[in-house]
Amino acid sequence: MDKEVVIKADGLTKKFGDRMILNGVSLEIYKGETFVIMGGSGCGKSTFLRHLTGALKPDSGKVYLLGKDLTALNEDEMDKLKKRIGMCFQSAALFDSMTVGENVSLPLKEHTKLEKSVIDIVVKMKLELVGLRGFEDLMPSQLSGGMRKRVGLARAIVMDPEIVFYDEPTAGLDPIVAGVIDKLILDLSKKLSITSVVVTHDMKSVFSIGDRIGMLYEGRALQVGTPDEMRNSSNQMVQQFISGSPDGPIRFFQQKDDYLEHLIR
Amino acid sequence: MPVRTETKSGVTVCRMDGEIDINSSPDIKKVFDKLITQKTPKIVIILSNVTYVDSSGLATLVEVLKNMRSYGGRLRLVNPSSKIRSLFEITKLEKLFDIMSNEEEAVSTFS
Repeated sequence: MDKEVVIKADGLTKKFGDRMILNGVSLEIYKGETFVIMGGSGCGKSTFLRHLTGALKPDSGKVYLLGKDLTALNEDEMDKLKKRIGMCFQSAALFDSMTVGENVSLPLKEHTKLEKSVIDIVVKMKLELVGLRGFEDLMPSQLSGGMRKRVGLARAIVMDPEIVFYDEPTAGLDPIVAGVIDKLILDLSKKLSITSVVVTHDMKSVFSIGDRIGMLYEGRALQVGTPDEMRNSSNQMVQQFISGSPDGPIRFFQQKDDYLEHLIR
Repeated sequence: MPVRTETKSGVTVCRMDGEIDINSSPDIKKVFDKLITQKTPKIVIILSNVTYVDSSGLATLVEVLKNMRSYGGRLRLVNPSSKIRSLFEITKLEKLFDIMSNEEEAVSTFS
């Protein structure tokens, strides 16, 4: 049986100033899978993610999300589609002046006509799923980094999204807490049949949660495959990235021109 | 989504079709709020023709149960699809609700 494509990027290009960030990225993500986008800092993976969620428009190319061409949607259509996706930000992006419960309930208050009593029950159910039930009345400043990420995750799933996007979910967390977040992403994906798209350069996360992995390099999808296919890849850049070796074909310096010429120009 | 109600042997039987979701839950809640205001003692909700329940739908059912319990009322759910039943299990709500598979039995044994 053919797999259902829920996200399709087709030849995406994006320039910031004269710097090419995405240089023709094409890939497909299937319903129900956990797809990991990996790549070094500055390779364009977060920019790519922001194109998939409609936060950025490409210079050329198309993004299809749940069957809709994002580049052709008007604002109302985009708002409607955004209710079907959840976003978990790198920093958790909680409102510090609101309690945990208020942060999680925000999308429901903004986008639905549900009564407060029903919203409160949904919030409790979602906090239970991320292991934080009973923390509704705490302020974000009273939480650890890992707990804040879990609150961000509860908020991302509060509207029962079909797809959840995660931007560096384990960045800045110790290995144990990072493992907890990875397990949570996997559990939620499988239990709730959510398609998960995770941007990370945490190799442990990449291989523990990814059904398939796409490696971005210099604005292109260098290789897409299962964890085994990536581990056994003959591509030296993929191998260098996985092993974390400073020596190899991947250049870590991204200066645009010659250093000495730049000094005396 | 309309809720059709009828009374059978002193039990209020409520039928729903389609989806209990963010869009339909507020209207569904209004119907049950009315039954709760009247302190309806026994309610059976037939879920046979419900195709999808989201978190707001589950929360609405929890709220109905909670409000009924406040005056000693009792609620039964009947014949959810296997997909919906597994949703109750994932959210651990199957222990909260009295879920039965047969409508006649649910009504006749509601003493």
